Amino acid sequence: MTQQSALPTAQDAKRRLAVPDYINIGVFSALYFMIVALCALASNIAFGVAGNLLLPAFAALLAGPVFMLLNARVRAFGAITTMGVVLGLFLFVFGHFATSLVTGIAFPLLGDLVARLGAYRNKAALLGGYVLFSFGCAGPILPIWLMKGAYIASLERKGKDSAYIASLFDHVNMATFAGAMLAIVVGALAGGVFGLVLLRRHFAKAGVTQ
Amino acid sequence: MTAAARAAGVRTRALRLDPRAKLTMLAVANVLMFLHAGPAAQSLAVVLFSLPLLFGGKAAAGVRMLAVYGVLCAVEWASALGVDRLPWLHIAGATAAGVCMMMPCLTAGMAMFATTRPGDMVCAMRRMRAPDALVIPVVVMMRFFPTIRHDYRLIRQSLRLRGFAGGGMALARHPLRSLEYILVPLLMNAANVARDLTVAGLARGLGAPGEPTSMVELRMRAVDWLAVALSLAPLAVAAVTG
Amino acid sequence: MDSTALCTLRDCTFAYSGEGAALRNVTLHVRAGELVMLVGPSGCGKTTATRLVNGLAPRHFTGTLTGHACTGGLEASRAPLESHARVVGSVFQNPKTQYFHARSTDELAFPCENAGMPAPQIRERVRQVAARFGIADLLDRAIVNLSGGQQQRFAVASAAVLEPAVMVLDEPTSNLDTASMARLHGMIAALKADGVAIVIAEHRLAWCADLVDRYCVFDGGELLGTYTAREFEALPATQREAWGLRALDVSEDRARIAALARAPHTSHGEGTPVLGTRGLEVGYRKRALFRRGVEFSLRIPDVDVYGGQIVGIMGRNGAGKSTFARTLCGLQAPLAGTVELGGESARASALSRAAALVMQDVHYQLFAESVRAEVMLETVQAGGELAAAREQCDALLGELDLLDVADRHPMSLSGGQKQRLAIAVALMGKKRFVVLDEPTSGLDRAHMMQVGALLRELADRGVAVLVITHDDELAAHWCDRILALD
Repeated sequence: MTQQSALPTAQDAKRRLAVPDYINIGVFSALYFMIVALCALASNIAFGVAGNLLLPAFAALLAGPVFMLLNARVRAFGAITTMGVVLGLFLFVFGHFATSLVTGIAFPLLGDLVARLGAYRNKAALLGGYVLFSFGCAGPILPIWLMKGAYIASLERKGKDSAYIASLFDHVNMATFAGAMLAIVVGALAGGVFGLVLLRRHFAKAGVTQ
Repeated sequence: MTAAARAAGVRTRALRLDPRAKLTMLAVANVLMFLHAGPAAQSLAVVLFSLPLLFGGKAAAGVRMLAVYGVLCAVEWASALGVDRLPWLHIAGATAAGVCMMMPCLTAGMAMFATTRPGDMVCAMRRMRAPDALVIPVVVMMRFFPTIRHDYRLIRQSLRLRGFAGGGMALARHPLRSLEYILVPLLMNAANVARDLTVAGLARGLGAPGEPTSMVELRMRAVDWLAVALSLAPLAVAAVTG
Repeated sequence: MDSTALCTLRDCTFAYSGEGAALRNVTLHVRAGELVMLVGPSGCGKTTATRLVNGLAPRHFTGTLTGHACTGGLEASRAPLESHARVVGSVFQNPKTQYFHARSTDELAFPCENAGMPAPQIRERVRQVAARFGIADLLDRAIVNLSGGQQQRFAVASAAVLEPAVMVLDEPTSNLDTASMARLHGMIAALKADGVAIVIAEHRLAWCADLVDRYCVFDGGELLGTYTAREFEALPATQREAWGLRALDVSEDRARIAALARAPHTSHGEGTPVLGTRGLEVGYRKRALFRRGVEFSLRIPDVDVYGGQIVGIMGRNGAGKSTFARTLCGLQAPLAGTVELGGESARASALSRAAALVMQDVHYQLFAESVRAEVMLETVQAGGELAAAREQCDALLGELDLLDVADRHPMSLSGGQKQRLAIAVALMGKKRFVVLDEPTSGLDRAHMMQVGALLRELADRGVAVLVITHDDELAAHWCDRILALD
């Protein structure tokens, strides 16, 4: 009695995720989360609260290899989205504002769809997917604009003049928002390219990819 | 309290809240932030949300959160005093106010993280019908975190013996190289762990069709409902004071 | 065929996807209460046989199976893995990567939860299995903080919590010291007494020789023969050696080790010792902010190590061998005393420059994209003379039998090749002493002897070699002296 075994093969990008994939997602999400946490620590120490603006860009730069290796091990729809959801959940439970949850799910999903266009092998699609995925980390940025409102409100409550600070913040608003978004794109592209390079030089040769 | 008794679920003197009660606190904290709640509601929230830490055996963490909040309020108050004469104090005040605004969320988050056992968290997730696709990664993440630090330390030691002395100087001068030398072994090891975990998990029946059960039995007791009710109080205060 | 057998492999041939046959026409059976040991050199197919028994092949380790593999009424190729999980408990080689949960109690509950047991029953089972295997004092702890032996005991307990009829263990003692092996022996004895059918694939034979009923000898994917315990013990030792097996009786080796350990440690060689310790105390202090005092400390007897010597460092796990190794390499500050390099007290940086550490898990020490690049790493980074270095590098690779894999990625090499690569790196760096941490764990006889020969070659070049090991055979056959840290 001869029987070929029944597990899905790697070539089928349409296959459904299974236990081995969930475990890969867990392991690499843990690494990604550590990188985000380290970047958060570093940028908050170096730049204070404003460091949160650059945090997603830093994390995107450093975590490229993590993303690329996870993708190389799974190559099926849902891995990137699930990683985003899990990370978003963790951030939420750690006390981040719930917008992290929304951005943490929406952008990874978009990234997953873009990467799927290239069957999870085309480099341009993977880079695009990674850029979109990295915006998922931008959740922590949004509260900064809420903070401006809160401070102004508290000043007014104390009867202080808020014109000075309002004008300061307005200037900060437009330019910095655009700058932060641009930084994320640049950081993610650089990190993604670095990740693809490491994939080619190390992981593919070592046999840990599919 | 012996380990065996603790494992059997006997209640210790520390307060153990249902994770869902703590999730309610997190939700309330988020709403408060969204609504730009005033200082009264905010302070009440921070104090309330640090109670699970203070009574849950993590008093040090609870005291830390309260102390940080106290310092931030003091900074904000002091800068408000002097801001008419020294406008640049606005920056200190703004920063303090900004972080203060996040404090209810951070405190609730710390309470969640520090006092929830992994088993309780997983049980709560399964009760809320989270799929395997979410539960398994979360379990694996919690199991894998401690080993990342251990791996990193071993890698740094190896690098030192190879003559790539660690420290900020080397990192700054050759960032790409340092990143490669640290990330590659880290990721290789992660891939190997994932491979072994898959085999071990499958051999223990992971991924079977049907709902897995849980050793922990979560029930919302009176104290949990009380916690939920109390955590709604800051919302009421916010509604009244604005 | 034996109808009372719980596990049956009948004429099984199995080939992993894309590879040749790993098992050829293997037939064996295991009855309730029997302990069958699968032995043979590396790559002989015994691990594949265990995977057929616990169902992991061909469902997870995909491949082609011909023949009949049946465990507890379940066919390996037909039944889903979760059915197998209820009937077969599996224990694997590496305790560090086998546990799924962060906390020990959750790990014991894990199989029960997957099987859909109701909560009170799970708690009762966990309590029972903890009491039965004597691990109740380890409950509710973070598994990452447990020692390898304790982790492995939890792995066995977790595999046994569903009270399976069959237990399969794949090299369970690879990373364990003598004391842990004795405890594992106790657990296996308890399982056997309860009527569980046990299959163990192993290199090390001595630890449970008194419990084994039958030995199945494998080589090259074929079953050479099946022997009862008595028949097997009656075979001449040379026959077992020829099969690539480790010693059945290590008492001779232990005696030799004891003799070597008694030899004086200082001033016993010619010239200046490469390495010396004076009044050394290793360990670490408590880490909390306001607490002072010592978390762990170990006093090391004064020792001199000369170039050309192989010194074995032995002691139970947790005794401080790794801490000692790290202190010698300058990676950790001593609590007291000094380490001397070439007769003079040395600073940590000097020690780090002179030392090489070959860890048990070589993954943490290989950084380059090819074998050659790995050996040339420091030279390239230091901007040294490339042509001369390259010649030296190729010469070294040739001597260590790595020249034909010089362009492959280090991680794609076999375990033995990775070890030789680590040695090549140390030699290229002109290191004065090399510390190896458990280089032979999980190795069969032939490879163990190869490692011993490699150590001898290393020492003959004037390097001082220190080996942390709990492998009695390696220590007895290859070490010049032994430092017992108990």
